[in-house]
Amino acid sequence: MVENPVSARFYTLLEREVQRFVRRPWNTFLPPMITNVLYFSVFGVILGTRIQEIQGFSYILFLLPGLVVLGAISNAFENASFSIFHGRWNEYIHETITSPLSYTEMVLAYVLSSASRGIVVGVIIAVIGAFFTPVGVEQPFYLVAFMLVVSLLFAALGVVGGLVAKDFDHLTVMNQFILRPLVFFGGVFYSLEILPSLWRTVSLLNPMVYMVNGVRYGFLGYSDVDPNTALAVLSGLTIGVVALDIAMFARGYGLTD
Amino acid sequence: MTLAIDATDLEKDYGDVRALDGLNLSVEQGEFFGLLGPNGAGKTTFINTLVGLVRKTGGEVTVFGNDVEDEYREVRDSIGLAPQEFNVDRFFPIREVLMHKAGYHGVSEAERERRADEALKLVGIYDKRNTRFDWLSGGMKRRLLLARAIVTEPNLLILDEPTAGVDVQLRHDLWEVINRLNDEGTTILLTTHYIEEAERLCDRVAIMDSGRKVTVATPEELTERGSDTITVELRDPPASAPPLDGLSEVEDTRLEDDRLAVRVAGSGGRVAPRLLNALEDRGHEITDIDISRTSLEEIFVELTEGQRGSDEPDGDGTGEDGTADEPARLAGEAR
Repeated sequence: MVENPVSARFYTLLEREVQRFVRRPWNTFLPPMITNVLYFSVFGVILGTRIQEIQGFSYILFLLPGLVVLGAISNAFENASFSIFHGRWNEYIHETITSPLSYTEMVLAYVLSSASRGIVVGVIIAVIGAFFTPVGVEQPFYLVAFMLVVSLLFAALGVVGGLVAKDFDHLTVMNQFILRPLVFFGGVFYSLEILPSLWRTVSLLNPMVYMVNGVRYGFLGYSDVDPNTALAVLSGLTIGVVALDIAMFARGYGLTD
Repeated sequence: MTLAIDATDLEKDYGDVRALDGLNLSVEQGEFFGLLGPNGAGKTTFINTLVGLVRKTGGEVTVFGNDVEDEYREVRDSIGLAPQEFNVDRFFPIREVLMHKAGYHGVSEAERERRADEALKLVGIYDKRNTRFDWLSGGMKRRLLLARAIVTEPNLLILDEPTAGVDVQLRHDLWEVINRLNDEGTTILLTTHYIEEAERLCDRVAIMDSGRKVTVATPEELTERGSDTITVELRDPPASAPPLDGLSEVEDTRLEDDRLAVRVAGSGGRVAPRLLNALEDRGHEITDIDISRTSLEEIFVELTEGQRGSDEPDGDGTGEDGTADEPARLAGEAR
């Protein structure tokens, strides 16, 4: 009666992880909807009309790709870190660990499901933004590629976070003290062109700059950095972090005694 | 035949604490094997080493011939575990929890549904199938752990204190299910604090202490090793206990009012006729006799007492109530 067990194992965990956030939309999709309506209202409409165009784009249009990235990566990270940490906290992650899934299957299920939540939230934010300002897609390939890569990268980082955290507070700390500053100084709200030369150079060390500009290139056809280089670097980083996830699972880091 | 479990010089250290200290243990296929030992003996650590929740420090252990680390997927596929802790997915109704568990073992979707329903019916909580774990009563939670362990139709079923804190009815229900599985060929590894449980269910019992195996025997063999007590009631008791020099099995005699308690090595039933003859030869009239058999519990205490000081660390990381404590559970730091 066992059919194609490799995919059955992997798909069961993937499906379980997707169902976990799909069945609780008021916890997973409603908050970013409300937050982004507020962002677009305050920064885009109320303040945005008093801010001059950036690189030929209205401020609200310039803002939109950054908010899409912010929502996508926050949710991808939160999903993976919360799911793994909650499972560790209540020890039901043992159901997975004591099963015959390979470590790669486990990691890919957590990463892909979390990345999919990030992408869905990104799409929701883009749709909300479209109610505030007309927006098109200038470079569809880059938009899809960057959305995939940034969501996968932060889902993979979320796996690390979920394994490393020793308390729920640690998850909050990661989000507030690491993720948020990187996002705010990553060119979501401004163009690097307006920064003094020194800070522009420093900003280039922030990986978020490449993500925001990559997605912005997809939407608007404009980027402060070379999108091809950014895509290559981020893809490499993503593969590296996924490999780290698999190594941590195989080592039992945070999972076994 | 390949052994169901074969542990050789198995070691596990938690920092300075040695939880498994060169454990050698083998369980035959199809056997109902009991693992007894005081808290901290290393029972749970041993079990968790088999399923991948603990990484061994040294030694070797195989399950059906597969190494628990090198061939972890084959090992985990063959084991169903009902742990002490209620470590069940809180997000989904229990029927889906069972279906997920079966799916992790490669079972097809239609088959998952059938097995989940069958397992829930078997443990008697099918009508709660759409309830989430947190809303079940304590007894139902215990039943669910067994259902989750059997939904994958394992060759080796590991039950870690399955009847801890459950009422008599539930305990008997669980015994019935477990016995049936064993009769159908499933190898059972049971840890329990209820000596009566081990005595009643197990083919063989290992007693562990301080991470080592103290002994392995059938429950009957173990009880044979103890001392029985024959208590006789005398119509006209003497001032002191009469000498019973002719009976080599006698270890101790004690006279309290009209009752003479005689502790003998081995079976009291075999010694009793000669004891009665000896007393009658000395002119004593016997009005009543009672033989108390050494319980497995007394043997257990005898075998394990004195081997552990009060300051010994809790090797399997569980406290009196079965909950995790430091430093044995590194993952428990997250709590």
